[in-house]
Amino acid sequence: MSETETGSSIRRSATRAPRKPKPNQLPFALILLVLVIAGALLLNRQGNGIAWYFVTGLVFGYILQRSRFCFTASMRDPYLTGSTQLTRTVLAAFAITTIGFAAIKYGAFRAGQPIPGQGFVVPISFATVIGAFLFGIGMVIAGGCASGTLMRVGEGFFMQMLSMTFFVVGSLWGAHDFGWWKEHVINKGKAVFLPDVFGWFGAVVIQLAVIWMLYMAAEKYHEAKASAGSH
Amino acid sequence: MKEVILDCFGEACPVPLVKAQNKMKEMAVGDVLIVQIDHSCAMKNLPDWARGEGHNVEVEETSEGEWEVIIEKTK
Repeated sequence: MSETETGSSIRRSATRAPRKPKPNQLPFALILLVLVIAGALLLNRQGNGIAWYFVTGLVFGYILQRSRFCFTASMRDPYLTGSTQLTRTVLAAFAITTIGFAAIKYGAFRAGQPIPGQGFVVPISFATVIGAFLFGIGMVIAGGCASGTLMRVGEGFFMQMLSMTFFVVGSLWGAHDFGWWKEHVINKGKAVFLPDVFGWFGAVVIQLAVIWMLYMAAEKYHEAKASAGSH
Repeated sequence: MKEVILDCFGEACPVPLVKAQNKMKEMAVGDVLIVQIDHSCAMKNLPDWARGEGHNVEVEETSEGEWEVIIEKTK
């Protein structure tokens, strides 16, 4: 479905202001491309693979912008519009990354190397629940989650410069107090790495099954909301 | 037929959507609502909602990063 259809079928009054001419953005794009390449080459001289992070970050941002992928909307729109389209998109992304991450981790495990990313296997505690709830409130008010806010600032949406300022303030504050939370709340929970419990194959199957059930629930919810709206 | 323009420039998602939903309630069948937005997220959920409700919807990019979502109330 095209987002910018021409040939209007909706009758509108003719007294509308003429369109502002669109400036040609190609020169800016070329200048930016040169700057990006120069920046990547400059960073590459520093080593540590930082140029790689720079390029993957830009690619990730580009995909996020073009796909209009929004984690906030995936959690908010089911309530607001009854649409779970983005919710299902996020679940599909989780399913794909489940397979991808399992492959990377299992590959390292098979080769006898240390499994990458095990530092992110952290205990589950009430801090997770409370933190997720607070983050949910914050991202709906701010109009975007972390990646969404960064992407829209890059798009030139000025209001979210404000969101980003306080996003930085909040992150610094959180980092400052994180030691206390980790010691008194987070470490009281239990860290679970699914392959340790169910085996590698079982972990992937169980995680995909949970995602699939959530997907089906989201679809049912969508249908129920759509039929309730049309009566 | 009435034409209503709703200026939502500078408003982050979901504000344009909520404003449009409230405005549509006051309007009669056949009226046209034009929502002006510059938040890319609203360009997705606003047409999605209106199409889901069964209204006629068109999206027009009026300038770089500015859109008009044109909704004709059908019921």
